[in-house]
Amino acid sequence: MAATRRLQKELGDLRASAMKNFTNIQVDESNILTWQGLILPDNPPYNKGAFRIEINFPAEYPFKPPRINFKTKIYHPNVDEKGQVCLPIISAENWKPATKTDQVVQALIALVNDPEPEHPLRADLAEEFLKDRKKFLKNAEEFTKKHAEKRRESSSSNE
Amino acid sequence: MSFIQNTNTCKCSHLCSVSSNDAVSNSSILNGGIRARMRFHEAKHAVASSTFHGTLTSVSQNSTYNSGGEQVNANKNNQQIDSVTSNSLSNGHAISPADKSFVTLSGRSTAPLSTSVSTSGIVDGRIVSTCTEQFPKVCVSESRNISQLEQSTILPGTVGISRSDQLTVNTDICSHNRTEQSISNERNSRTESVTGPVSDSYGTMRTDQDTNPLVDECIVSRVDQFRNSGLTDSQGHSQTEQSVVFTLPDGSHLEQPTVFLMTDGRGIARSDQSSILSMGETRRISHPEQYTNSTTTRSNPRVIQRVAPLTGQTTMIPGQSTQSESSIALADVDPTNHSEEPLPPGWEMRYDIYGRRYYVDHKTRSTSWERPQPLPPGWEVRRDPRGRIYYVDHNTRTTTWQRPNTERLQHFQHWQGERQHVVQQGNQRFLYPQNIDIDIDKNNVHGNQAAIAGPSTSVVDDDDALGPLPAGWERRKQPEGRVYYVNHKNRTTQWEDPRTQGQETGIDEPPLPDGWEIRLTEDGVRYFVDHNTRTTTFQDPRPGAPKGPKGIYRVPRAYERSFRWKLSQFRFLCQTNALPNHIKISVNRQTLFEDSYHQIMNAEAFALRRRLYIIFKGEEGLDYGGVSSEWFFLLSHEVLNPMYCLFEYANKSNYSLQINPASYVNPDHLQYFKFIGRFIAMALYHGRFIYSGFTMPFYKRMLNKKLVMKDIESIDPEFYKSLVWIKENNIDECGLELYYSVDFEILGQVIHHELKEGGDKIRVVEDNKEDYIRLMTEWRMTRGIEDQTKAFLEGFNSVVPLEWLKYFDERELELMLCGMQEIDVEDWQRNTIYRHYTRNSKQILWFWQFVTRTDSEKRARLLQFVTGTCRVPVGGFAELMGSNGPQRFCIEKVGKDTWLPRSHTCFNRLDLPPYKSYDQLVEKLNYAIEETEGFGQE
Repeated sequence: MAATRRLQKELGDLRASAMKNFTNIQVDESNILTWQGLILPDNPPYNKGAFRIEINFPAEYPFKPPRINFKTKIYHPNVDEKGQVCLPIISAENWKPATKTDQVVQALIALVNDPEPEHPLRADLAEEFLKDRKKFLKNAEEFTKKHAEKRRESSSSNE
Repeated sequence: MSFIQNTNTCKCSHLCSVSSNDAVSNSSILNGGIRARMRFHEAKHAVASSTFHGTLTSVSQNSTYNSGGEQVNANKNNQQIDSVTSNSLSNGHAISPADKSFVTLSGRSTAPLSTSVSTSGIVDGRIVSTCTEQFPKVCVSESRNISQLEQSTILPGTVGISRSDQLTVNTDICSHNRTEQSISNERNSRTESVTGPVSDSYGTMRTDQDTNPLVDECIVSRVDQFRNSGLTDSQGHSQTEQSVVFTLPDGSHLEQPTVFLMTDGRGIARSDQSSILSMGETRRISHPEQYTNSTTTRSNPRVIQRVAPLTGQTTMIPGQSTQSESSIALADVDPTNHSEEPLPPGWEMRYDIYGRRYYVDHKTRSTSWERPQPLPPGWEVRRDPRGRIYYVDHNTRTTTWQRPNTERLQHFQHWQGERQHVVQQGNQRFLYPQNIDIDIDKNNVHGNQAAIAGPSTSVVDDDDALGPLPAGWERRKQPEGRVYYVNHKNRTTQWEDPRTQGQETGIDEPPLPDGWEIRLTEDGVRYFVDHNTRTTTFQDPRPGAPKGPKGIYRVPRAYERSFRWKLSQFRFLCQTNALPNHIKISVNRQTLFEDSYHQIMNAEAFALRRRLYIIFKGEEGLDYGGVSSEWFFLLSHEVLNPMYCLFEYANKSNYSLQINPASYVNPDHLQYFKFIGRFIAMALYHGRFIYSGFTMPFYKRMLNKKLVMKDIESIDPEFYKSLVWIKENNIDECGLELYYSVDFEILGQVIHHELKEGGDKIRVVEDNKEDYIRLMTEWRMTRGIEDQTKAFLEGFNSVVPLEWLKYFDERELELMLCGMQEIDVEDWQRNTIYRHYTRNSKQILWFWQFVTRTDSEKRARLLQFVTGTCRVPVGGFAELMGSNGPQRFCIEKVGKDTWLPRSHTCFNRLDLPPYKSYDQLVEKLNYAIEETEGFGQE
């Protein structure tokens, strides 16, 4: 498969670089078009948990961008209830075949750390974020506690 | 026959097509419950040949459903009527409006059905809908009255009725069920408890000798969950609490239309009329090895439960509290689990040895690369006599090879919505109304026209928007009022208005001097014979003919470039190759596609050049042109039916079509493409228009023109952008890891392709990337459609040699095929947006000045240049679509005044450089829209 080599290389590089905020990268060896991993954002209220994401690469990758989905529920203005997220770097307008998955993931983590309420997928949360930051932080923290996966210190050194 | 049309034209079809969301959500709830208590009789005189089967399902709202034995509750019934009626409709279960049909209500009363939708009978809260053709009589009886029924007995717990004589029947009742549920999931607060269990209940019924072994594949139903749902009646039906097994009857009863497959939870099917009695459970158990290749052996009806967790379909597992939690929990286990809709019952996800995901449908014992969606309401899976699976849409009484999904249905709806406009649109198309003639040949034609103006105005009293007739023509009326047209130049008459036919251009030229004659060379190039001097010349002897440098066809280049000239060449070719007599094509409106297919494919290709004589069966009216026009327009719209899977809309947006790479799901697709090739050639040959054209790259392919990278933009802008990026950037440093090979996906299957031999091992680097881009372009433009294109061209070429088209470019071909439309410039202007210009920028003012002043052809071509098609949406410019949805016409300031305008057809955008004067703008624009190749666009 044409996308395979590129993805194998990216996966190898990604694992070798051992990013602190993207860990537990799981790829079914038989299907390299789907990846999962945990992102560990630094900023509150998301710095208490780990969030599982799934990256789906199209057969035409890198001519077409991957799609990202949250598998863990997250209280965030830019992530909708289904886990869909709108990330400019992988939009049709901005996509370049040279964009690497680690850049995509870093862009995603940056978005999680610093929500962009101007382009919300969940208008209600964006409004809360802008108007009542305290309440937003409290809700998001509780939500994180309830739904997010636990962070294991060891997990960051794995893989 | 691959387009299996439902030959049975049921009167109820219009009713069946009614579908409402509300109804759907209601219907989901009670299907199981209600069905359990229905029973149907089929009258003995049922039409044996009809192939439609109404799957009888009725629906009730919530739990108002009364248990058997209770009195009819009029109020409840009344409340239910609306939902009930629409439900049965949305299910596609035909309700017959026929006078003869009756609904017998529990033997208490017999009421004639009226022709309205209220033809469903409600008994004790039970609703019956029926299709008269098969079920002239429907009896509904309460469950305890089973013994009263003489003909067939449906035990409690049964679900449906199906019958067929010739066709394989494969009724997938559950699919209705399921879909409805998934819809109701979103709407109904009870969804979790209700739909979960219900979704497990499904049934398959089959009657087919060929597929007899499949009979064993039975069906699992888990109605026991009904208990929890609270949706069955208050007393709870013991019947429905049992697993319902739908057995698949043998072929033995095929000849005799019968009601069958009414089984109860014990797998017993009874019918007094025939010997259909299948012991579903027994059979199923006795053939567990059928599924031995599966990870789960279906040895009992509960297998679904086990399959479900494997496929990650958490909602199917009873007891799972919420979907999201469980799916997240599963995420660790199954990394490929998607947050998508659950698989329909009976489906399973697996991986092949390459790790590619595919889906197994245990009901039809087929596999698919594409993730199945539950069948929409009113749809059913069946098998044809050769065991091939197809899908029946009872809503529209049509069939398709392609499993319907949301996108396809949307396309279909869009397509259906167009239907009503089709003929109307046809009447608005034209090529060259007279006013253009005047513009172009002002000097010659004008004088002529004045001379003949006298006679031709004889009937101008009701002249229309098309303007005056061409010179030498006259419009007359027959005594009975029918209008016809007289061509005084060659002393012929015709019914068609010459202004709308595009045929005039050949004959409409000024007359030759005495003793001259026009002939064509073998290549179709026109030359002139002077019999006075016995010489020939390519130079047009007429005084008004354009002079100047000669082009490749040895006539003045300016002339040769004009569409009119090319068209006249083409018409001349057609006329000189015409055959005597006529060819009769007789079609039924309901089976337009099939009828036309058979007759066109059965005819010798050359015979299709004879004068057409089209008959719509049962309709008066002789074909003097008008009927043919309608036939071309209707049939051209018909072949684009997305459910035929032959064509698809280019990038979900505009109205241009391209060959669907997945067309192979239709086993006879190549024959159909050949047919369409013939048909399109006929349209050109006979000078008729078709409803919707093809993409520009497709026309280029017809003209055997090389496809360039820019052509990709109109069909796959994303892919194009990436190619451009590779072209414009140094790729050696950025780790693209590209090789001379490429993948793409059809219906979920990834297909690998090496761009050249050993391409998997050849790395793409800066030095060879041009070559790579060239090969990629070639591949992208042909992938998955090469065989189809060849079949199309073969069909085309057999009627009209492709050679004849060589004068034209792709845009002219579209104009010729689709005709022009009068463009509402004000509407256009109103719905245009600007980037880096304002509506008052002088270039913009000049632009609109140009558009207003120019003629229809230029306007059409300008629109075509920017949007990729010369057609305007039915709703006007406000509905102009781009590759990502609605996209208004946009003019953007780009570049310097030495540049030519460029276009981005997928975004309906014109890049207009800031020209210094009106004249410069006109010159550049003209140049850009007439140059089809090269810098204009690139």
